[in-house]
Amino acid sequence: MTKETFLHEKHVNLGAKMVDFAGWHMPVQYTSIIEEHKTVREKVGLFDVSHMGEVFVSGKDALEFLNKIVPQNISKLNYEKAVYCQLPNKKGGLIDDLIIYKLGILEYLVICNASRIDEDLNWMVRNSKGFDVKIDNRSHEFSLLAVQGPLADALMRKMGLTTIQESFTIKPAKIAGVKVLASRTGYTGEDGYEILVENRNSEYLWDKILEDGQEFGIKPIGLGARDTLRLEAALHLYGNDLDENTTPIEAGLSWSVPKDKEDDYNGKDVITEQIKNGTKKKLVGLKMLDKAIARHEYEVYKDGEKIGIITSGGPSPMLGANIALAYVKNDKEICTGSIVQVMIREKLHDAEIVKRPFIEKRNKIKL
Amino acid sequence: MSITEKILCSKSHEFLLDNGDNTFTIGLTDYAVEQLGDIVFLELPETGAEFKKGETFATVESVKAASEIYMPVSGKILEINEEAVNSPEILNEDSYEKGWLVKIEATGDAAAEQSDLLEYEDYKEELE
Repeated sequence: MTKETFLHEKHVNLGAKMVDFAGWHMPVQYTSIIEEHKTVREKVGLFDVSHMGEVFVSGKDALEFLNKIVPQNISKLNYEKAVYCQLPNKKGGLIDDLIIYKLGILEYLVICNASRIDEDLNWMVRNSKGFDVKIDNRSHEFSLLAVQGPLADALMRKMGLTTIQESFTIKPAKIAGVKVLASRTGYTGEDGYEILVENRNSEYLWDKILEDGQEFGIKPIGLGARDTLRLEAALHLYGNDLDENTTPIEAGLSWSVPKDKEDDYNGKDVITEQIKNGTKKKLVGLKMLDKAIARHEYEVYKDGEKIGIITSGGPSPMLGANIALAYVKNDKEICTGSIVQVMIREKLHDAEIVKRPFIEKRNKIKL
Repeated sequence: MSITEKILCSKSHEFLLDNGDNTFTIGLTDYAVEQLGDIVFLELPETGAEFKKGETFATVESVKAASEIYMPVSGKILEINEEAVNSPEILNEDSYEKGWLVKIEATGDAAAEQSDLLEYEDYKEELE
């Protein structure tokens, strides 16, 4: 059965077009994906991302356990800080990508993809053997609202947020009198917050953010624009750009894999070997040179030879061009500036390999 | 007489407008473009190309996905809507008068081939 978030009725009443996504009945758009996209880039948008999973990890061995299941060094994660991680299998392929937050000395919050929560939990429990750790899936207790865009902080201040937070921090806070956990993170490349709120308060908070956000030009934003926003920011989508046969090194996520972590973790031998000797495939950004749109699973060619595959693609409303992420053969000749071809409906269309992200990200807020 | 009183619609959401002399205009229904959302790309055939009823003759892409468009009757392409190719967003404004796709000359038994097409009112009813 398809699940509904606590905000389902809100979306329907706002006239959203609803779709099934990862087992949830979610809004894909309210008015127009392009309009919603631009609202987030220029003003502020509100997303319901309550379908995402919240797993609390606590106990005497919580740190050691997390260090075993992710390449990131969780020992270096400070109180109220967040870190982007992956959950590799023993071969270094990715079961999911996650954000881990340190909430207390022995307490962590893991936010994972809705589509992967069962696999994640199964993997975590299997890997917890021998650790004194409690793995508590509390996804059903919380709603997650994302407020994203250059005016997101101003709106949150207006609504009573008093915490001083840089990017990738989480703090207990009050917004419009409601107790929340405010995380300065997102999936758009813009500044903003992801707000974890108890389900009983989510409808009130949703309405209040839209009401108080009016003077900032706020709009509710569906999953359609969430996808185009993350693509412009070249943020990976699990299931498209990441899967169990792709390592973080291949995915261009080496920046999130410390080279000096001493603890053993799942897939460490494969990942370490790839850092040292390189990979067979690599993730690149593509910009189409004509109006054709590269989509998931289209083939990529160079000089008549198949060199890779598109994993995400679509229009970039800000660039006015079509962009894509692709895995291609890891060859020095295939690099930024190279012209390759994408097979679209049996015709080859030129594309240029460009730097990722496709737009300038504005989400690094330092104090 | 409004346009929707003159067209026939297919279950795959194309419309067919009879222009007389065995020629027709083909495009997408308002329901189709509303379901697609923002239309960002349109690929139309060359004039002179011939297609049988039910064959894919064009592709429309929304932000999210590519969709094929099928011939409601067999025909030869006489004219394509260049303006719609250059500014596919006009389909979202008006898919009938501004955002039509192609004009064709029927090459089959057009009358017989129209038997599975619906009048607009019936088409709308089928959607409910």
